[in-house]
Amino acid sequence: MYDAVSIEDRQKPAVMLANYGFANDAESASRSKGMPGLRVIPTKVPCESTVKADIEAGVDEALNDVITALTKPLTTEEKSPKVEKTEKPVRIIFKGNLEEVNRFFYRRGWTDGLPIIPPTEEAVVEMLTGTELPADHLLGKLQSRLGKATIEKIAINAVMAGALPTYMPVLIAGTINLLESEQGFMGYTTFGFSTGSWAPFWVINGPIRNQLNINNGSGVFSPGNIANATIGRAMGLIIKNIGGVRKGIEDMGVMGNPMKYTMVIAENEEESPWEPLHVEHGFKKEDSTISLSFPQTFLQHYPPGSDAASILQSVIDNIPRSMRYIIVFNPATARSIAREGYTKEKIKKYITEKKLVPAAQLRAQSNAIVTPGSKLQQSSVDDAEMVPLIKDPRFIRVIVGGGPGAFVAHLIGGGATPGKKEIQKIELPKNWDKLVAKYKNLVPVYTKY
Amino acid sequence: MSSNTDIAYEVLSPWAEADPVPIRAINARISDLSGKKLGLFCNTKRVAEPTLKVIENRLKKKYTSVTFSWFYNTVPNEAIMEQPRKDEFENWLKGVDEVIAAYGD
Repeated sequence: MYDAVSIEDRQKPAVMLANYGFANDAESASRSKGMPGLRVIPTKVPCESTVKADIEAGVDEALNDVITALTKPLTTEEKSPKVEKTEKPVRIIFKGNLEEVNRFFYRRGWTDGLPIIPPTEEAVVEMLTGTELPADHLLGKLQSRLGKATIEKIAINAVMAGALPTYMPVLIAGTINLLESEQGFMGYTTFGFSTGSWAPFWVINGPIRNQLNINNGSGVFSPGNIANATIGRAMGLIIKNIGGVRKGIEDMGVMGNPMKYTMVIAENEEESPWEPLHVEHGFKKEDSTISLSFPQTFLQHYPPGSDAASILQSVIDNIPRSMRYIIVFNPATARSIAREGYTKEKIKKYITEKKLVPAAQLRAQSNAIVTPGSKLQQSSVDDAEMVPLIKDPRFIRVIVGGGPGAFVAHLIGGGATPGKKEIQKIELPKNWDKLVAKYKNLVPVYTKY
Repeated sequence: MSSNTDIAYEVLSPWAEADPVPIRAINARISDLSGKKLGLFCNTKRVAEPTLKVIENRLKKKYTSVTFSWFYNTVPNEAIMEQPRKDEFENWLKGVDEVIAAYGD
């Protein structure tokens, strides 16, 4: 869509063909680029179709519209498109009781469907105690609508999500991660909106994990911990309300993804036999960081043995085609592998070398999606030849988390090109220790039965 | 005794402000395609190329004097103007009268 706008910007008339299901998305994209009148022809050519008859039928039905869009003189409105009146931004947006506030926000499309905590002035002021940055400090403009990511807007969305003020440094770093994510196919501007339903997955490392009680043990991916639950939820609301990414308009995920409610874990650094993720990225162990990737699929498997060969073979057997592979080993399994001499790097190399698939299987897919930079489609490799599924071990992440037991988890999907932005240091305010002391004791205490 | 329905919350807007985007008009169309050169701009979507090929064939039959020129954006989800090939794209554009772009999605 942006390319069609670029064509018009270079004084050439353009007509864009889009599947009719993407009409709203196309309209939003052209409007966001300042060209609401771009002529888009909705067609019934099925998305990603490979069936010639279906494509021909879709084109034939749309052909007259295409010709008309190429030749019909501009309307008065097209010649002078009106600047649409937008709602004047106001700080206080509504007044009502709990139910009324929730319904108002829900109708505006500002929630994730779950009830929110009303972001009152008092609640937002308390949330802002979690940072030294001024409320009007602008971190940047977040795609897709280039909404201004101010500290106050982050705090408002954090209140709504039920976050604590001590989460503000994490949310600020997470927002920076989104803002600085690489442009193009491997970044937030693809994974945030794509039909692939990629979900932001946040891994927290460093001392802040324990200061915020971010779960890294039993049920690390399960609900029940306020930090894991609300940090991810707040980031989802930030993407929606600051980035303006709305389901079915900008976020065109075909199936959607329950991981979009929240997907936050801490790495279990204390029980890991390996260096933590942030140290792999060049940070100090005493730094706190948040990393971002975009898995699409979550799966777990049960290795047939507890020796390294059995565990790693099970890992290899359970790796499907994708772009980024995050493997979460529980501490006992990690120790079993490490005992046999496997470092994180050796595991990645082993998987890369051993995960082989027939060349035909890869060739049938888009090279860019399988392994960016691959030239397999043009190469002379025989269809039956077994070739590596993963071309570069840097597309694999190994982290430690979860409780006692044997299961291993995979998060499979997308993430940054190796070497590009995916991890951000969390900066803490000077009074951090006092803040931690104030909120740290908020933990569930189960009654015995 | 108060209940949730008695308490009024004055709440702040979570919706971020955004700078207004300058609005531009699209370009005037050509009234007759006869003798014109149409650009076919093909993105990386799997259905883009076959769709444009069908369009090319249909229009060739309908307008025998129309000619076509193809341009491929081969990088997924990256605007052509953000790529090193932007000059190639702009030069290509100079040689065509109108463009049909495909495909979303």
